[in-house]
Amino acid sequence: MRFRSTALGVSVGLLLASLPVLAHHSFAAEFDIAKPITLKGKFVQMDWVNPHSWIHVEVAGPDGKKVTWSCEALPPNSLFRQGWRKTTLKPGDDVVIEGFQAKDGTATIWTRSVTTPDGRRLFAGNADALPPGAPAAPKPEGKQ
Amino acid sequence: MVRSKLAIVAVVLCGVLAKPLAGQASGSYKAPRTWDGHADLQGIWQVRDTAAAFDLEDHGGALGIPPGRSVIAEPAGGKIPYKPEALAQRQKNFQNREKSDPLNKCYMPGVPRITYIDFPFQIFQTPGYTLIAYEYIHIYRTIFTNGSKHIDGLDFWNGDSRGHWEGDTLVVDVSDFNDQTWLDASGDYHSGDLHVVERYTRTGPDTLQYEATLEDPKVYTRPWTIRLTLYRHAEPNFRLLEYECQAYSDEQAKASR
Amino acid sequence: MRFQSWITTAGVVFALWLAPGAAAQQQQPARGHSTKRAGEPRRGPRGAATAASPASGNGAAPAFFAPGPPHVPGGPVRRLPDGHPDLQGFWNAANNGGAVFEIQNHPKPKPGVPPGMGAIIDPPDGYLPYLNWAAAKAKNTFEHDLADEPELHCYMSGIPKQMYVQFGFQILQPPGYVVMTWEFMHSYRIIPTDGRPHIPDNIKLFEGDPVGRWEGDVLVVDTTNLNDRTWFDTVGNFHSDSEHVVEYFRPVDSNTIKYEAAVEDEKVFTRPWRIAMDLYRNTEPNYEQMEFACIEGNQDVKHYTKDKGGAADVKLK
Repeated sequence: MRFRSTALGVSVGLLLASLPVLAHHSFAAEFDIAKPITLKGKFVQMDWVNPHSWIHVEVAGPDGKKVTWSCEALPPNSLFRQGWRKTTLKPGDDVVIEGFQAKDGTATIWTRSVTTPDGRRLFAGNADALPPGAPAAPKPEGKQ
Repeated sequence: MVRSKLAIVAVVLCGVLAKPLAGQASGSYKAPRTWDGHADLQGIWQVRDTAAAFDLEDHGGALGIPPGRSVIAEPAGGKIPYKPEALAQRQKNFQNREKSDPLNKCYMPGVPRITYIDFPFQIFQTPGYTLIAYEYIHIYRTIFTNGSKHIDGLDFWNGDSRGHWEGDTLVVDVSDFNDQTWLDASGDYHSGDLHVVERYTRTGPDTLQYEATLEDPKVYTRPWTIRLTLYRHAEPNFRLLEYECQAYSDEQAKASR
Repeated sequence: MRFQSWITTAGVVFALWLAPGAAAQQQQPARGHSTKRAGEPRRGPRGAATAASPASGNGAAPAFFAPGPPHVPGGPVRRLPDGHPDLQGFWNAANNGGAVFEIQNHPKPKPGVPPGMGAIIDPPDGYLPYLNWAAAKAKNTFEHDLADEPELHCYMSGIPKQMYVQFGFQILQPPGYVVMTWEFMHSYRIIPTDGRPHIPDNIKLFEGDPVGRWEGDVLVVDTTNLNDRTWFDTVGNFHSDSEHVVEYFRPVDSNTIKYEAAVEDEKVFTRPWRIAMDLYRNTEPNYEQMEFACIEGNQDVKHYTKDKGGAADVKLK
């Protein structure tokens, strides 16, 4: 393997490495850091594209209707270097995704972290930190 | 005695005057060396056969499309050896080319198409890395000549390139393609299993022969090879400029609002 | 477990931003004013732990001067066969006060933009010496037109911003050139060192037309022909197509380059100004840059909201 495989349980230090990626565009124009959200659902597929990967998750809303959420994550190059692989998540896997909602109200978030079926927490987007005064992550939205 | 001397002179003259056959990598041209002893491929190059980028096979002219001969050297017959169902897809691509050609969306052309679109590119050679910088949308390809292996687990528009020397020919093995690019503007295409082997060989002071062998068991019945000549830009102080397709497209969209 | 050595000052500063009081410790003069604040020492060498701290700061002040990514001390500067410094390899910008977010001094946090000193060393207070109209435009851009950000549209980053974008860059030195390649937006700069003239003035390029020369061990790069379609950072600090940049790459050891850029643009600024930062070698073995396509997979533009110049309605209140 070309790159040293990293343990998938990454440390907080790695989170800091991911932040500069936001510099390619202004987070504030697209997402609302004051609107964190936690999605619990089934992994559908992942788009391994630059400039940002997209993780698609099917979440059942409070009314039972299933909605596919698109979760923007780091570029595939960054994820790959962190040890992510295309086999890391499989269709149907139960995942918990934390992030920040898009201001345009679509089912779109910026990903803070992804928790896999076996309980590992992967960081795919922003540093796991909130500005002072921001609300804590709400209860998981959607049934399993 | 005179006859045999004349014969010898004739033979010697033939040997001296014989020119390398056009289009064939010839042993008789010895390229200058880089400081580490390899053939020097450096410089700014561009195709003259601009018709290849429109259609790799024999084709007549059409509005905006120059006519051209096939650049396919193998197999004989000059046609891409498509599987029957793949040929049907190619015809569909051709009919939808206005909308579907990725180049029309300012997307990366892929390999080998990036070599024969009508824009210059520059080859640089340093230990461990041969770099090809293309004017078209500021693409560059790093060709690793340090013995390293292909990346395993990602795919790319222009593939992943690992090179080595066979004599004076730079052989570049390209894999890890996605299935999003075309080979020309007529819908010739490939799958994500595409594997390309390029061969760059100097054939004269201002010419470089480019060959690319394509194999893709999902789409073609057998490997096939294209061959083109690249010409050096000898104009004084010639340099790559920029062709920023997306920026121009955005400008046009803004102007027409 | 290893992670990329391109952890930049921005990442460290962001974490330190969370420390209480970090934001409150500097007075900020009005944008566009380059007056030196009373008691503010002249900005010294970047990155040093003892770099100048505002006299009025509290204990959190040194956070803005955090040294940046892990730096592996080097040995003597390597040489090419022709005697010039061998700068080949992979590099990351460091010690630039979060310039990639905002190039100038920015002590107050903005959404998504942690506070930082930026990279400006002249004027000494670290603020861009804008003409009044330009200061107003920059402010307006930040408030209403973030959707115009060039990199959102996959454009190259311009000069000098290209030198401090994320993911670092590679330097190659084939004969007669210094070539730099960036993974980010697959950008490159081809810098001839043969003393050729610049191209005609009416050709404007995102990365400009660079011409390099060696002054002793310093690579000096003169760049003209820049277009006006790039920013210095993510918050809208900008220049015109009269921008002219002279950069200085001074190797101090085999793993460290001191980088400075002198920027002049009479249409936008009252005077020339300079930035400074370090370039640290990425010593990760077998490191490789990879292709970074952008337009092909860009989904962000459509989500930018109208209040920031985009097309989407703001639905979340």
